[in-house]
Amino acid sequence: MGATHAQAWSETDANIAGIVAETVEEAQPLATRYGASVYPDFAAMLAKVDVVDICTPTHLHFEMVMAAAAFGKDVICEKPLARTVKQASAMIAACRNAGVQLLVAHVVRYFPEYALAKASVDAGQIGHPGIIRLSRGSYRPKKPLGNWFLDEEKSGGILLDLMIHDFDYARWIAGEVESVYAQKVSTRHPDAPIDYGLAILRHSNNTLSHITGAWAYPPHTFRTHIEISGDEGLIEFDSDNTAPIQSLLLKSGQGDTPDVALPSSPLSESPYTTQIKEFYAALQGNQIARVSAEDGLAAVQISQAAFQSARSGEAVSLASFMELMS
Amino acid sequence: MKIGILSFAHHHGEAYIQNLRTIPQVELLGVADEDSSRGKQIARENEVRFFQTFEEVLDAAPDGVIICSENNKHRQLVEMAADAGVNILCEKPIATTIEDARAIVDACHRAGVLLMTAFPMRFSTPLVEVKNRLDAGDFGEVYCFNSTNQGELPSVHRDWFVDKTLAGGGAVMDHTVHLVDIMRWYLGKDVTEVYAQTNHIIHADQVDVETGGLEMITFENGTFATIDSSWSRPPYWPSWGGLAFEMITERGAILVDAFRQNLTVYSHAWQRAGWAFWGSNANQAMLNEFITAIQEKREPCVTGYDGFKAVEVVVAAYTSAERGQPVSLPLE
Repeated sequence: MGATHAQAWSETDANIAGIVAETVEEAQPLATRYGASVYPDFAAMLAKVDVVDICTPTHLHFEMVMAAAAFGKDVICEKPLARTVKQASAMIAACRNAGVQLLVAHVVRYFPEYALAKASVDAGQIGHPGIIRLSRGSYRPKKPLGNWFLDEEKSGGILLDLMIHDFDYARWIAGEVESVYAQKVSTRHPDAPIDYGLAILRHSNNTLSHITGAWAYPPHTFRTHIEISGDEGLIEFDSDNTAPIQSLLLKSGQGDTPDVALPSSPLSESPYTTQIKEFYAALQGNQIARVSAEDGLAAVQISQAAFQSARSGEAVSLASFMELMS
Repeated sequence: MKIGILSFAHHHGEAYIQNLRTIPQVELLGVADEDSSRGKQIARENEVRFFQTFEEVLDAAPDGVIICSENNKHRQLVEMAADAGVNILCEKPIATTIEDARAIVDACHRAGVLLMTAFPMRFSTPLVEVKNRLDAGDFGEVYCFNSTNQGELPSVHRDWFVDKTLAGGGAVMDHTVHLVDIMRWYLGKDVTEVYAQTNHIIHADQVDVETGGLEMITFENGTFATIDSSWSRPPYWPSWGGLAFEMITERGAILVDAFRQNLTVYSHAWQRAGWAFWGSNANQAMLNEFITAIQEKREPCVTGYDGFKAVEVVVAAYTSAERGQPVSLPLE
């Protein structure tokens, strides 16, 4: 994700001043490409930049955002904002106290199909949403170093890492979530070769959302689906049916499976770039980003409530969950 | 073999006439309908004998009857037919309450008549194909299902489908049982827990019953599944709705759509796209099984008990929706 964001930043007026990775060697190619310095660690870089963009594994977000706030730097943080609600709340408070901005990279809001569906709903094209169905599916993430995606303690697992995209989107469309009920394969089958999560959300306005997350498909698969049924119409999007290019080539030219599948549908501007441009404008005070730190927190709340539901077998009310967390 | 049809409250009754006609050994004895003008018209259009009462059909000694009444009247007709010693194919859901569903199964058991629930999806060729591959071990263990049986507002066919008393409920009552039955059949396991949420947003101005329903059920072996039973297809959707599921297994995912075998037709007459189904007729295969089971004096492959077990899940779903928490099965 760091490389994707770096590419996006290069399309703004901002200067990519420094890069920190797990090792200096890992950071070097990107640094060379964008004329940035490589720093041995985060603290060394903080003093030298105006804004930090954190694309590290989820479990590291908390300490890095707290450090950035302490240094008085604006922060962009990859989703999920944090591993836990408690951490996310503390991060928001720290940034507020430090007077720095905290922007959460819920990039799905910037994908044109999702942005257009939201605009269509807001324009009243389908009336009041009754049932929302969102799914996102890929293969099991692979990561040569440590495989942190698969470590639930670090990534929060499929409910936090993958399904948070659609938890956030459902809330963007239908508003606050009242209760969550969820199950996932890995709860019952920790050794299963795949994972798959299903969640039912009830929103405060009585809209129901059905969220699906899959790490269950063969390598290179990436599929997303949106269905919003309203009292005056229906919106549907299916990535399988809307991919503008199909390759029926005799021999695959592809190399190794990428770490995490990124959707590919040719656009004049990458959604990641659209997002970073909006964040850049927000940092300059020219615009309010469409996703706030509080949205990032709310998405973590839903994910964590879903996790608790999957573990306990009970539906979890967000209000009582929040009491428990505070 | 003589077959009668009791009631045309369910519009499937008319289709069954055509299905029965294609079975060589079947003599379509006649039909009766409590709405005699509707019944007479259907009888006239299809050139079958119209009986004034249900009793008259049963007095004519059919080998089997198909019951297509409103859901809450199934019990009365089943008990009448069972008392007359007649074999029964009953529309789904077999009843609207556990008590009625149990009474239906018991009455047929006592009378020694065969009772089949009209679950045509058991005969859907794509679904049968996947069941065969599952049984052959192609997929390994089944972890979960993500399923939909969404439809248009069924009052376009009959008003009673959206009447709480006659239908027993709304979208959840109408569209949950097929998928529950398919998954029970696939897994050979029963449901032990049901969670459901319902709402009343889509078509809220037209009906009083719930039009949106999402359920998550858990089977005794830990397999879990969601069912979307919503009446969420707009009236200008290319078909009435559909039934599809993703089955997640040890070997990945299988995506199954029972109604994908379509032509897409754009007609001036419709002013919208329409899906014309060219797949195999599951209703026909279901009736073939009913007739064959009667002939061979054996249980049909889908029974009244299967209908009862599906109703149990629906009733639990309504209880769960009220409580906001999952409900355990079997119900007390």
